Amino acid sequence: MTEITKDPRVVIFFVAVAAALIILAPIPGDGGLHSRLKYGLDLEGGSWLQLKLQGAIVQPQVDPINILDKQFGDALERPVEVEWRPGSTDYQITVEGRASKTLAEDLGYPQATVTPRGNATKITIEASPVGVIMNYLEASLDSDVKYLGSDPLSFEVRTNVTRESLETILGEVGGTLASGDAGFSEGVTEETVDETKQVLDRKLNRLGLQDIKVRVVDNKFILIDLAGVSVADAQEIVGKPGVFEIRIQTTGNESMHVLYGDEIVDVSLPSGDQTGNWGVPFTLSEEGALAFQKAAVDTGATRNRMDHEISMHLDNELIFSAPLAQDLAASLEVAPMRNMVAQIGGDSQRAHELYIHLREGALPVNVEIIGSGQVTAALGDQFKKQVLIAGIMAILAVGLVIYFRYREPKIVIPMVATSFSEVLMMLALAALLKWQLDLVSIAGIIAVIGTGVDHLVIITDELLYEGKMPSDKIYLARLSSAFGIIMAAAATTIVAMLPLFGMGFGAFKSFALITIAGVLIGVFIARPAYGRIIGRIMQGGE
Amino acid sequence: MDPETFISKYEPRKMVAISLAVLAVALSILGFTYIKTGSPVNLGVEFTGGTIVTVPVVESEGEIAAKLAAYPVLDIRDVGHRYMIQMGPMDDAEYRQLSAMIDAEYQDPEIKYMGPVYSTRLQEQAKTYIPLSFLFMAVVVFLIFRTPFVALTVILAAFSDIMITAACMDVTGVKLSLGTVAALLMLIGYSVDSNILLNNRVLKRKGKTEEKILGAFRTGIAMTSTTFSAIFALFLVSAFSYLVSSSFTQINILFDISIVLIFGLLAGLMNTWVMNSNALRWYLARPKKSVARRQRR
Repeated sequence: MTEITKDPRVVIFFVAVAAALIILAPIPGDGGLHSRLKYGLDLEGGSWLQLKLQGAIVQPQVDPINILDKQFGDALERPVEVEWRPGSTDYQITVEGRASKTLAEDLGYPQATVTPRGNATKITIEASPVGVIMNYLEASLDSDVKYLGSDPLSFEVRTNVTRESLETILGEVGGTLASGDAGFSEGVTEETVDETKQVLDRKLNRLGLQDIKVRVVDNKFILIDLAGVSVADAQEIVGKPGVFEIRIQTTGNESMHVLYGDEIVDVSLPSGDQTGNWGVPFTLSEEGALAFQKAAVDTGATRNRMDHEISMHLDNELIFSAPLAQDLAASLEVAPMRNMVAQIGGDSQRAHELYIHLREGALPVNVEIIGSGQVTAALGDQFKKQVLIAGIMAILAVGLVIYFRYREPKIVIPMVATSFSEVLMMLALAALLKWQLDLVSIAGIIAVIGTGVDHLVIITDELLYEGKMPSDKIYLARLSSAFGIIMAAAATTIVAMLPLFGMGFGAFKSFALITIAGVLIGVFIARPAYGRIIGRIMQGGE
Repeated sequence: MDPETFISKYEPRKMVAISLAVLAVALSILGFTYIKTGSPVNLGVEFTGGTIVTVPVVESEGEIAAKLAAYPVLDIRDVGHRYMIQMGPMDDAEYRQLSAMIDAEYQDPEIKYMGPVYSTRLQEQAKTYIPLSFLFMAVVVFLIFRTPFVALTVILAAFSDIMITAACMDVTGVKLSLGTVAALLMLIGYSVDSNILLNNRVLKRKGKTEEKILGAFRTGIAMTSTTFSAIFALFLVSAFSYLVSSSFTQINILFDISIVLIFGLLAGLMNTWVMNSNALRWYLARPKKSVARRQRR
């Protein structure tokens, strides 16, 4: 047998243990020594929310003419005639008698002209077929609808909706949904999930919360971990919008309040025009529109628009500022305006940000809280103490059992030491890779203590077969036979654990990771070295 | 009883039959539970949806029940210096109100809410992942042993372990939770350890079958007792440490994991040393022809 200290297995083992000790050594930081170990919420204290994004991706099959027919017909309570030339961006609606000027705007078509023509009235609205369908879906579902593509025509509905209810809505205008999953599938696009995540991230950051983790699972669920926050506060934070304010410049750097976000009744998704200018359309309430007109007239913005910019603030932070558009300024001279567009210019990204802000940090889609919970820091501390005691007791109990089995300190001490070293290496790996140790993963560590020692028992018994230490040649054969058993057992453990990664929104990810890591550390680092060391010790004993 | 008696004195087929009878009893318990509740094991709150709250004991059970009268309380239990209150499904507004109230009234409350979307998804996952885990294990066992008879006995033993453990859960009232599912998956992996040892020793070494089984048994029993002792420590701390210090309480998830592993380890002892060791004796004592063919492989 070669000199034990030169055996690579033994060298690797001791280097790994030394590295583990260095990693686990407390490091000085603010307020004393800190361990590099990261703990999960159930040991650290904090709360978590599991949100499901509500929405569906749908492919409606419907004729926009039928939609306008119904919308205008219902509003006017008499039949209308809708005309459209293919390729045109105008729809002509003709109705007998007179129609109110604001009718089209109230129905969601702001670009409209109303011309009386003899006994009848002709309303021309500027809208594409897609726009009409989108408008109809938004109005009937009272939700944002996002246009996804034209071939096939598909939209993202950003609220909780069922196939049946959508088919009923479309059925009223002689339409339907495409068949199968393509016609209706629950969930939202990846972009929307990202956007929702961003809104949440930004919101939580604005509140100055530390250590927030926002994770997306299956493109449909968002998980938020908040250290040191109660679950009631967490729900409040996620649900509560920020304070949005519109102000108008009076003189120089001075400005005055115009309205708060509650006067903004609707914000549409940003849209770009032909020249590549982006804008975010929004609608004011009637009182809001009046307040806006009054402020614009009083400050003189309608006549001298460049000196009286309109600014928007979220939680007192300036997010947008621009003068009134020329035509808007002119219109405001005579009447309040409800529909406006915040023009951004060529930057679609900024338009998107403004859209999020205009919604006061409200989430782009409706979310349902599907799970939540909290553990306070003090309780987490208690749990920590309890699992530490469990870990120490486990090692002691295992040591005792081994002692009863072998009654030989030369075997018992290396065995317990090896088992303990495996725990150290597991913890060090967890610290290095920033895995969060939670209650379950500590249960995993304790289970690995139990089974790790099993494997040491297999090695020892295989070597001691027939009660005495064999010659070098047989020793190596026996060792490899022992490792055959150990590797097989390790392989079954690892594959059986794999499904845990996907369970319960990753609640067992750390458990599965640490258990698998423990098994691998055991088989590849600790046990090979133990096999050599124990062999040497027993040979020396004879 | 002397282990030698078990291993070598009785008729192998009789011992295998006894083990299979135990499995049959376990399966009928699971079947009965299935007929009664619609699920082979009783589902915990994580799988049915609902709310669990634990708060320090500062009042009588009656007082806390009165305080929570407006909520769908299912069960209030003293878990050692704390009450664990289980509640049925409630809507969002109700839950917000409850969590705010609990936060205001009690020090260090623990709250957990599992909505129907969460629990349905979890049920589906458990239905997929437990069999999947078992399948993975079975494939690995086949790759290791290659001999169908041996592989099948090892897989049967693992299957029996899981079924007996699940039946024990039914009998003792341990419900299926995230913790118990994790423990069951762990068991699938660990349950084959001692079987692998047994088969390895008996099939690869020379000597008398009974002696080899006895040798494997000595090692195997040491293995099971080390694992058992570690898990038992976990069980004691999670279940009874509150008796030692007033700041400690039961830790449900650890209790669930440890109790299931304890059932599983005990079932494993029987399945390895009563069932499989005797199945091996029977297999190796068959007419030489087929044994010879195996050895030539």
